[in-house]
Amino acid sequence: MAKLSVNGRAYFVDEEADTPLLWVLREALQLTGTKFGCGGGHCGCCTVHINGEAMRSCRVRLGDVEGAVITTIEGLSPTSDHPVQIAWIEHQVPQCGYCHSGQIMQAAAFLHENTKPSDDEIDIAMRGNLCRCMTYTRVRKAVKLAAELQSGKKI
Amino acid sequence: MIKKKLNRRSFLAFSAGAIAGGSIPTTAVAKQITDLLNPSSPIMLPANFSPSLWFTMESNGRTKIHIFKSEIGQHVGTALSQIVAEQLCLDWSHVSIDYPEMDHSTFATYGGQLTGGSYSVHEMYGKLSKQAAFARQLLIEAGADLMGSEFEDCIAERGYVKDTLYETEISYSEILSETVLEYTITEADLSDTKEIQRTDFKIIGRPIKALDIPEKVNGAARFGIDAYLPNMVYAKLVLPPTRFGSTIAAIDQDKAMTMPGFMAAVPMSFPTEAKSQGFITDVVAVLADSFPNAMRAAKAVNVTWETDPDFRVSTNDLFQNAEAQIAHEDGKDFFITGAFGDVDTGVELESSYKTSFIAHSPMEPASALSHFTDGRLHIYAGCQGGSLLPFIISQFTGLTPDKVLFYPHLIGGGFGKRFAVEPIVISALLSMNVQNPVKIIFTREDEFLLSHPRSLSVQKLSAKSNAAGELVGLKHEISCGWISFDDFGLVNPVQNGSPRTDLPDIQLFSATGSDNWYDIPNKHVKMHRNKMIEAVTGNGAVRSVANNYTIFALESFIDELAALKNIDPVDLRLSLLKGKDLNSGKNASSLFQKGLTPYFNVSKDAYESSVDGGRRLANVLRTATGLANYGGLLADGVAQGVAIAGAEERTNPSFSACVADVEVNVAAKFFEVKKLTIAIDLGLIVNPDGALAQIEGSVLWGLSNGLYEELTYNEGKVEQTNFDTYKWQTITGIPEINIKLLENSNYPSGAGEPATSIIAPAICNAIYAASRVRLRELPVSRERFAAAIDQMIPKDG
Repeated sequence: MAKLSVNGRAYFVDEEADTPLLWVLREALQLTGTKFGCGGGHCGCCTVHINGEAMRSCRVRLGDVEGAVITTIEGLSPTSDHPVQIAWIEHQVPQCGYCHSGQIMQAAAFLHENTKPSDDEIDIAMRGNLCRCMTYTRVRKAVKLAAELQSGKKI
Repeated sequence: MIKKKLNRRSFLAFSAGAIAGGSIPTTAVAKQITDLLNPSSPIMLPANFSPSLWFTMESNGRTKIHIFKSEIGQHVGTALSQIVAEQLCLDWSHVSIDYPEMDHSTFATYGGQLTGGSYSVHEMYGKLSKQAAFARQLLIEAGADLMGSEFEDCIAERGYVKDTLYETEISYSEILSETVLEYTITEADLSDTKEIQRTDFKIIGRPIKALDIPEKVNGAARFGIDAYLPNMVYAKLVLPPTRFGSTIAAIDQDKAMTMPGFMAAVPMSFPTEAKSQGFITDVVAVLADSFPNAMRAAKAVNVTWETDPDFRVSTNDLFQNAEAQIAHEDGKDFFITGAFGDVDTGVELESSYKTSFIAHSPMEPASALSHFTDGRLHIYAGCQGGSLLPFIISQFTGLTPDKVLFYPHLIGGGFGKRFAVEPIVISALLSMNVQNPVKIIFTREDEFLLSHPRSLSVQKLSAKSNAAGELVGLKHEISCGWISFDDFGLVNPVQNGSPRTDLPDIQLFSATGSDNWYDIPNKHVKMHRNKMIEAVTGNGAVRSVANNYTIFALESFIDELAALKNIDPVDLRLSLLKGKDLNSGKNASSLFQKGLTPYFNVSKDAYESSVDGGRRLANVLRTATGLANYGGLLADGVAQGVAIAGAEERTNPSFSACVADVEVNVAAKFFEVKKLTIAIDLGLIVNPDGALAQIEGSVLWGLSNGLYEELTYNEGKVEQTNFDTYKWQTITGIPEINIKLLENSNYPSGAGEPATSIIAPAICNAIYAASRVRLRELPVSRERFAAAIDQMIPKDG
C-alpha cells in the first residue's frame, strides 16, 4: 500500500511498486486529465509536477514517488485560472486538446523558473511536448502571454 | 417580410388561456399548471421547441445545438452553432452544444454525418442556416401573437421578438413559457425562407471563442480513452509479426496465469473478407483487471503465429510494384477532358514522382469501451463515422443494427485515423464474450503497428505542347493503394441503412487533386489500383488525403514545364487559370455526386462553392505572391517557389496558394525553409479564428509531411513504433508563417486540410529555383537532398 499526495490530498494506493504513476493517476485515482501518449517519455502528454518539477508520469514508477508532492492538471488551479490556463484560452491554443494538459503543466513549471522567456527559451522548454494538431505557434504566444500575466499584466 | 403568411394555428398548439379545467393535456402550458406554492400542484416543465433535427430551444431561454459531427479539434460545434445562432437571432451566451448518442436510425435521419474531408461546415451550412431562419419566423409569429402586435412590425434580436412600432418586446424564454410551439419544419417550408444576409451578420464571421476549449485546459474534457464504467475489464493486444497475413496457431498462457489481475488471453480471428480489405487483422486480446496488469500479462503470453510469406513485403517491394504497374498496365480513366494519346504531337516532358507512407499518429492512442447488457451493445468511444457503427458492428457480432448504441466522445486528434474501428470491433466482441464492460487501449506501439497509413504513391506526368508552345495535353498516372473508405471495410457496404451496390469504379478520395483546374485541353488522369499495397498495409485517409501526393507531383511538374519553357512558374500558372469550360466550376454537381452523396449529404447550394474555381485560384496565387514580394530582392542563397491547389475535391474546393522562401547551400548540402506565405479562399468564413487555427495546423502538417514523415515496412511489419523513430514537426525549427484568409460571399468550403498539400511542392520548387536541384521524392529529408546533389546531372548546363 503506497501513500501518495496528489493535488493536496492523500491517497492510499494498492498497486505494484513498478506501476507507472500515469496509470495510477488515471485508473486508481480517476484523474484522467493526465493523458497517455507514448509510454516512452517522447511526447509529454502525461506531464505532471513532482515536487514542483515537470516530469513525464509514464516514466515515473509508483514506488519512486511515495512522499512526493504531486500536482496534476486538475490541481493546477482550483478555479482553472492559472496564468497559463488563462493564456491558453485567450490564444485559443487547444484544438483536439489531448496534449494540452501536458503542455500546460510543462509551461507552468517552466514559467516558475523563467519569468521572462525568449522565443528560443520557450522552444527549448517546450520541444519535448508534441502536438499533432500542430498548435505550436499558439503555444509560443500563450507562454509569452502567461509570463506577462504572471508579472501582473491584465487582459 | 415573408411571402407566404404562416398559418399560426398550424403550430400554436396551445396559447395562454387555452386550457380550461378537465384533464391536463401532456403538452399543456406549464406556467398555468404548476403552482409552486401548492404542494399538491403537478410539476411540469414547459415543452421544448424543436422544429428542426439540429437544435432544441428550452423555455429557460437556452438553445442546445445538436452536433453529430465528431469533435476532433476543429471546434465544429462552435462553428455549426454560430450558423444556427445567427439565423435564430440568439444571444450567444445562451447557446450550448451536445453530442447526441447515435443508433441504427441516425444514418437515415441525419445523413452520414461522417467527420472528414473538411466537410462539416460545407455540408451543414445551407441546412442549418435555412432551418434556423425558418424557426426564427415561427418565433416572431408567436411573439407577435402574444404581444398583440402585427407580425410585419416585429423583428428578432438577441433572443427577443421586438415590435419596432410600439417598442415592446418579449423574450424567447417568455414565449416558450407562455406558448407551446409544435411545428416540424419541412423541405417545402425552406423554399421561401428569408435568411439573414452576410452584411447583417452579428455572429457568423466573428472569432467567437470555441465552446470546447475551457474544459481542455483543466483536465475536465472526456476523451474516448477516459471512458469509464464500473466493473470494466481492460484489454491489451498481442500483435502478429506482420501487419496482415498472420493467423494464430497456438497460445501459451501458463506464465500469464500466475500474474496479478490476469483473466484470459482471447484469440480474435476475423473473416477473410474483412482481412483481405485491409480492415482488421487477427490478434490476441489479453484481459486483466487494470491496464498495467493487462500490459504485464500480455508480455507473458506466448503466441505462435503462422504467416503467409506473401505478406512479408517491404517498402521497396511496394515501390517497385507501383512502378511496374505504371510502366506495364493501362490503369482506369479517372478524369478526362480529352484523350492524351489522341493529341497529335510528341511528348514534351515526362517526370516521375514518389511519396512515402504517412501515419496519422494522433496524440490519443485508439481505445474503446463496450458494454453488452440486456441484449444491447453500448459503445463509448471516439469515431469519425459513428452513424455507420451499428451496421459495421452488426456484421462482426451478429447483433442486428438496432441493438447497437454509440456514445460519442471527444477525439484526441483524428486526421482520418478514427475511421478505423478495430478497437471498437474487438472490445464489442470481448464484451459479448465475457459479459463485462471491456475497455481496450492501444499502446503507442500498437497504434503504429496497426497503422492505416496514407498510401505511398508512384506517379508519372507527361505533357504535350502545340507548335506555339502552348500546353495542349497533360497525362497524370497514379499508382497507390486505394482507401477502403467507400465500403469502410464492410463486408456489405451500407447506404441509408441498406446494402450498397453502386460502388464507384474509382476511389475518388484516392485520386482527387489530379483533376486539376488548369485550362489544358486534353487532361487525362489514369488511376492504378495497387492491391498489393492495400493487402499488406490497409491504408486509410490521412489529412488532405490524396491531394498530398497528387498536388506534389502536379505542382512540381508544372514547375518543371515552366523551367523547360523558360517561363516564370507564376506566369505559366496564371496563363492556365482563366476558368474556362469545366474550370468555371459551374458544373460541379454533375461531376462526383455519385461517389460523395452516400456519406456527405451536402445540400444543393454547396455546389456553389466551386463556382469561379479557376479564377479564384489565380486570385489566391496573385495574393500570396504579392504578400511574399515574389520576384523582389531576397537574401543571399534564398529563393522562392510556389504551389496551388483546389483541395479537398472539385466539389468542396478551398483555393490556396503557397510561396515558400527557402535558403539553399549546395556546397554544404543544406537547406532551410525560412518563410511560408499562404493565401486561402474558403468562401464565407464562419469563425475566422477557428479557420485560421485549422490552416496553421494544416500548413505545419504539410511541412512535417514534406520534410520528415516516412513510415516504412520491413518483412510486412511497420518499422517505426514510437515517436523516437517516427519523426515529425516539433515546436523547434518552425519557419515564419504568414497566412491570409480571403473572405467573400461564396458558399463555404472546408478549412481543415486543404493547405496541407501545397507546402511540400512549394518548398521543392523553391529548392529548384535556388539550386537547380529537382527533388521528386517525399519526404525531402536532409539525407535525400544531399543524395540528390551528389547524383545531380545539371539540367540546364
